[in-house]
Amino acid sequence: MTPRTWLALLAALTVAIAAVALLRRRAARTPAGREFFRHPPAAPGLAVLGFFAIVAIGARLVAPYHPAAQLDIVGLQNQAPSWAHPLGTDTFSRDTWSRLVFGARISLAVGALAMLVAVTVGSIVGAMAGYFRRWVDAVLMRTVDVGLAIPRLFLLLMIAALWEGLPLPVLVLLIGLTGWFGTSRLVRAEVLSVRERDFVAAARALGAGPARVIFRHVLPNAAAPIIVSAALGIGNVLLLEAGLSFLGIGVQPPLPSWGNMIGDGWRQLAVAPWATLFPGLAIAVVVMALNAVGDALRDALDPRREVT
Amino acid sequence: MTAWLMRRLAAAIAGVWAVVTLTFLLIHLAPGTPFLPGAERPADPAVIAELRARFGLDRPLPAQYVSYLRELVRGNLGVSFARRRPVAEALVEAIPNTLVLAGAALCIDFLLGLALGIYQAARARRAADVVLGNATLFFSSVPTFWLGLVLLLVFGQWLRWFPVGGVTDPVLYSSLPWAGKVADRLWHLALPALTLGVVGAAGTARYQRAAMLEALGQDFVRTARAKGATERRVLLRHALGNALLPFITLFGLAFPFLLTGAVLTETIFAWPGMGRLAAEAIATRDYPMVTAAALVAAVMVAAGNLLADLLLAAADPRIRVASE
Amino acid sequence: MRLPPRAICRSFFLAALVVTAACGPPGGCRGDYCGTLVFAATGQPDILLPPVTEQAVPRDIFDQIFLKLADIGMSTNTVGDRDFQAQLARRWEWDDPLTLVFHLDPRARWQDGAPVTAADVAFTFDAYTDLKVNSPTRAALRSIAAVTARDSLTAVFRFRTRYPEMFFDAVYHMRILPAHLLREVPRDQWTTAAFGRAPVGNGPYRFVSWTPGASVELVADSAFFLGRPHIRRLIWRFTPEHEVAMTQLIAGEADALEFLGPPPNVQRAHQAPQLAVYPYRGTAYGYLGFNLTANGDTTRPHPLFSDREVRRALSMAVDRERLLRSVFGDLAKVPPGPLSQIWSIWDTTLRAPPYDPAQAASLLERRDWRDANSDGVRDRRGQPLAFRLLVLSTSAVRRRYGQLLQEQFRAIGARVELDVVENTVLQERAHAGKFDAVLASWVTDPTPSSGIPQTWTRDGFGGGNYGRYHNPAFEAALHRAATARGTAQEAQALWRTAVQLIADDAPGIWLYAPDNVAAVHNRVADVRIRPDSWWALVRTWRIPSDRLIDRDRVER
Repeated sequence: MTPRTWLALLAALTVAIAAVALLRRRAARTPAGREFFRHPPAAPGLAVLGFFAIVAIGARLVAPYHPAAQLDIVGLQNQAPSWAHPLGTDTFSRDTWSRLVFGARISLAVGALAMLVAVTVGSIVGAMAGYFRRWVDAVLMRTVDVGLAIPRLFLLLMIAALWEGLPLPVLVLLIGLTGWFGTSRLVRAEVLSVRERDFVAAARALGAGPARVIFRHVLPNAAAPIIVSAALGIGNVLLLEAGLSFLGIGVQPPLPSWGNMIGDGWRQLAVAPWATLFPGLAIAVVVMALNAVGDALRDALDPRREVT
Repeated sequence: MTAWLMRRLAAAIAGVWAVVTLTFLLIHLAPGTPFLPGAERPADPAVIAELRARFGLDRPLPAQYVSYLRELVRGNLGVSFARRRPVAEALVEAIPNTLVLAGAALCIDFLLGLALGIYQAARARRAADVVLGNATLFFSSVPTFWLGLVLLLVFGQWLRWFPVGGVTDPVLYSSLPWAGKVADRLWHLALPALTLGVVGAAGTARYQRAAMLEALGQDFVRTARAKGATERRVLLRHALGNALLPFITLFGLAFPFLLTGAVLTETIFAWPGMGRLAAEAIATRDYPMVTAAALVAAVMVAAGNLLADLLLAAADPRIRVASE
Repeated sequence: MRLPPRAICRSFFLAALVVTAACGPPGGCRGDYCGTLVFAATGQPDILLPPVTEQAVPRDIFDQIFLKLADIGMSTNTVGDRDFQAQLARRWEWDDPLTLVFHLDPRARWQDGAPVTAADVAFTFDAYTDLKVNSPTRAALRSIAAVTARDSLTAVFRFRTRYPEMFFDAVYHMRILPAHLLREVPRDQWTTAAFGRAPVGNGPYRFVSWTPGASVELVADSAFFLGRPHIRRLIWRFTPEHEVAMTQLIAGEADALEFLGPPPNVQRAHQAPQLAVYPYRGTAYGYLGFNLTANGDTTRPHPLFSDREVRRALSMAVDRERLLRSVFGDLAKVPPGPLSQIWSIWDTTLRAPPYDPAQAASLLERRDWRDANSDGVRDRRGQPLAFRLLVLSTSAVRRRYGQLLQEQFRAIGARVELDVVENTVLQERAHAGKFDAVLASWVTDPTPSSGIPQTWTRDGFGGGNYGRYHNPAFEAALHRAATARGTAQEAQALWRTAVQLIADDAPGIWLYAPDNVAAVHNRVADVRIRPDSWWALVRTWRIPSDRLIDRDRVER
């Protein structure tokens, strides 16, 4: 670690905290914002997410080494944390901190993109099922039942077996496409209740087509639970990616992800615990932050709260 | 009621069939071939071809599917390629192990989760609540297998309080009296069950705390308080009773997850259960075993959902009316 | 759901009490024939029926249950019969150069009491070579024409040709099976036979129980005709992950592990006060194999690797010593060719292309591979010097080598992408030639004369010769070496010539030949580990009566 990287790190931390403080002041003007920040873990949660996002984007500045650089494969393996390597080195003599920082990029991107896929598919399927009802609903919901009946890891193992060496985009798609079942049920329930409200009926009476009604009127009004489930879902994807990497079918080397850092490091757990503990902690902290923010969002966006 | 049950049963069977078909297709289409020797011995292509022919893998896929279904209806799950024995035998050995682990994990999950949730709700926003709140937030956010690895390192290798993997002690078990056998099993069960249970309990506690707080704010609790019920009675009788209902659904959902979601925990703790069986079967392209594992999982999910529905219906008459 | 907290506490407490009681000192066995040995094993057996399976874990177990006619010595010398130890056969002689006669030990008994006869030997050969049994060992017996019983204790082997390792082939591959128990089992059902789940053998240990996924237990046969084994119980404990097996060993829950793995693990074993460490010659070698035919089309040459100079250049770009030290410390050697350390022809005077990045670069440039667009990757006529490397997902060593090699090749201007796949996929693709390069490793027999043809000649096409390397000169040299009738030195020289030919051709980059290290609990005395089959000599190990621990005294 050079002074420059320490400085960059400090800057990232300051920016994250300042941004949250600013946001908090802004949010105080709206009831939803006040409700959000009433949760004690919400502000630190946001700060953590902001910090990791900044670090992920500015990885080059914060990381002293290239994440795949094997510094000295004989002399610098499994080094304990020190000033030069604040989180130690792994069995390939790679700097754990640098990998953690670049890993944030991959892990957070995989989490967000996979969740985006899941939420998009889930919302569309749920909206269609709830809006059209009858046979569309029956077919879609039975599909969802089947999807939920196969344990996700099992399904992923099987589908991953179809590829020989899993490219990253496919991995993201796979995680996304096996994660929308729950969302679709949620959205369907929401749509069923929104559908009967006056403004939807009015839109239909004015001759709006189903697509327009769904996207302009129904979905925006069902947005709250979708957003909350997305926030919580990213955390799940992070955990899932870690599990897949542990089984060797997650993000492929030399790209670092928090999951494959654990996957690479756990065999050395007894001699170099830092290579496994820190990425595990990183996952835990980010998922914690996502859960905290998700909880706060749930309350802030809950329409019943606004009444009281 | 009977009609409703029949409809649900028919849907469940159709679902199971769909899962089996999907699994059959996926695993047969996946690249990779069964019957290979270990990774470090050169294979004799003639030996492999002979085995493929013997197990009917040289026939077209639709024909294989039809004969698989025909045997399945007769109750024949086939013979495992990798374990060289009937699939049913292997399942009969693995399922109880998984049930024990899942059951223990669920007990920890619910008992610890409920207790923590109630305690936190009773002490809402005080120091104990804040500390526990952060702790449960943390434990519900760690990767389960990572926690397992850490527990194994600390309690298995460093402190040596618990055994490193396995279901029973291979040396002592056969010579123990029955009470000792039970204790030995419990002792081996502790770490894997804690790994799964603690992560679950943290989530349950968070959920329960919120549900209790919501219940505590409602009218009937206020009424009970006004009538002079003790705080303990209010908490345990009124608030808890009301907050428990969603739990039944949660139970229906959690059970199948624990049954097969424990692949990683079972691998780390050398626990010979369904998850490990399924994962190894996929890795070795043990087709009959993979489809059988999917079948078991699907049946469990269907049964879990059905059970949860029935329990809910029993607990809350309105639901039954609504669905009829 | 309504259980009061106190009740929960109480039941926990009760359980704790019972646990403490169970851990108290058990009474039981004293003297010279006690002892319980727990082996940590990675993986689990598929079946305990010798001809059917070739996997290492079942092999270790039926080493103790089924004997061979004679067994290889500690020297693992496979030439002639000098170094072989009598087992079921008390002695043997040659009637003529193609006829070998074994005289069985009349004391040998099956564990159900029946005597072991020459008819069992003939039956065994018949089973091993039967197409219906489909034994993976079948091919190794092809030079034996027939095995017959001259009388109840005399078995006669007829060979097709004369060669130095006839005796080895006659005794090493087959474990003698009980004809009276297996004759009734239809041959095409042997792959899943019930006998394989509760075997009855003729060896020092009897089968007791098999808990699938957990353990196998054997018990010493106190009437064993070659001497009662000292250690009473043998237990294999199965674990899916090697690291967990290692932890069991360190934590004292297992007594022996045949392979410790990377240097940190060896260090851990050294530091564990209860363990003794035993190095022995390794039986494996690992390499990066080039596919000489096009990826997915075995009829066309590979655009990169059909060129010998490119292969040699890439070999020279890899600092094999350094990679070795990174992964194995000083617990492996760089093999000079496709050689494992157990072979008598292991010879470090042979020369594979040396590490020389400058020479490698100039070789590549001479072949017109230059970095024209300076993106760090060499190219030629718009084609980048890039290829994909197949890596086995379940092998920690190969995954590490894959990532290390990626970096080594990057330095010379070659881009490598890893395909980390499972064994089923790796072998399927390798057999079909659907790959550019593969990280492979072979565990070898004690002799090169079976392994090398299977993996580096035309015989292995579609099988172990993944890259379809074919060099008639090499194959001719190999044949001369394997059939040499001269002195040991002359044979050795012939082998050296053959290996030098393939080393110069560089159809692969020979990366590592591990020195294996086993660890066994230090209360066990007389530990000898035979490199080709680690636990083969367990019946001669013993635990002195003053070193017994609780585990050893447990009565079942």
